Amino acid sequence: MSLAGRRALVTGGTRGIGLATALGLAESGAAVAVSWAHSPKDAASALATLTARGARAHAVEADVGDPAAVRRMFAEVTESLGGPPDVLVNNAAITEDGLLMMLAEEAWDRVVRTDLTGASLCCRLALRGMIAARWGRIVNVVSPAAFLGQEGASNYAAAKAGLVALTKSLAREVARFGVTVNAVSPGLVETQLLATLPPARRQEMDRQVALGRPGTPEEIAAAILFLASPAASYVTGTTLHVDGGLTML
Amino acid sequence: MDADPLLAEVKELLVSGLRLDVRPADIADDAPIFGEGLGLDSIDALELVVLVEERFRISIPDEEVGKRAFASVNALVDFIRQERAE
Repeated sequence: MSLAGRRALVTGGTRGIGLATALGLAESGAAVAVSWAHSPKDAASALATLTARGARAHAVEADVGDPAAVRRMFAEVTESLGGPPDVLVNNAAITEDGLLMMLAEEAWDRVVRTDLTGASLCCRLALRGMIAARWGRIVNVVSPAAFLGQEGASNYAAAKAGLVALTKSLAREVARFGVTVNAVSPGLVETQLLATLPPARRQEMDRQVALGRPGTPEEIAAAILFLASPAASYVTGTTLHVDGGLTML
Repeated sequence: MDADPLLAEVKELLVSGLRLDVRPADIADDAPIFGEGLGLDSIDALELVVLVEERFRISIPDEEVGKRAFASVNALVDFIRQERAE
């Protein structure tokens, strides 16, 4: 129960990596809020799973790219968890793929706004509580695309690379207050999206991974939990690549 | 001692909140809070924002407002009075 008494907010926390992280945080003793933007059904099911494990939990609808919505989200989370979050996991992200030359301007803007600006807005609001408490943990979920590039996803790759740079810069800004800021870069992860790929494409992707298989959401969550835990007290500004040897960075 | 209780409270908050090695009474009313003087930098300002917001229930949302509020101890006292009046 290394996070007993802590309050955590996981954006995009009702499925996949976000949900696995929220469950892990709850099992470590934290009160947990999860935000969602697309599926009320997933939100209800995530909340039920969290509370079934005995956690103090809350689900809040919020488009993290909307400053007013992020302010409302923080007010609601602070109220329901009994104080401001001292663990923030910026996991919410969208993709709108397309080759850059033909990419709609709006598709660029939406992805950068949600994946990069959204994380920045959440950090800004979370920091006040963390600085007051002189303890805080921020973990940003990034992507191998930020390091390797990804054809057809320049908007996503650029946003995630921006998030890596934000992680490092903010880590320097708030270190003296006992707040650490790190990133986790998940490789291929067993999700709904992966299941829809044609088998040949799946095999080709698996071949690029040294461990020869996709990871599970729980394997990614384990790295996020480490960075949120007291065990990571001397780790800040770094990216933990949890990708089965895809990038070897 | 400062005759103005708010001025004294602000100085006391600066010293205790930012763990300064001076006595509150030794801080000049018109001294700039950041830069020279108290030897505080712009990152220390983040903590002062949080302290002032909590103590006086006011909001310092961005750098523009922060620059105005933290121009000097006197400026901060004026800013707090103004915000509370609204």
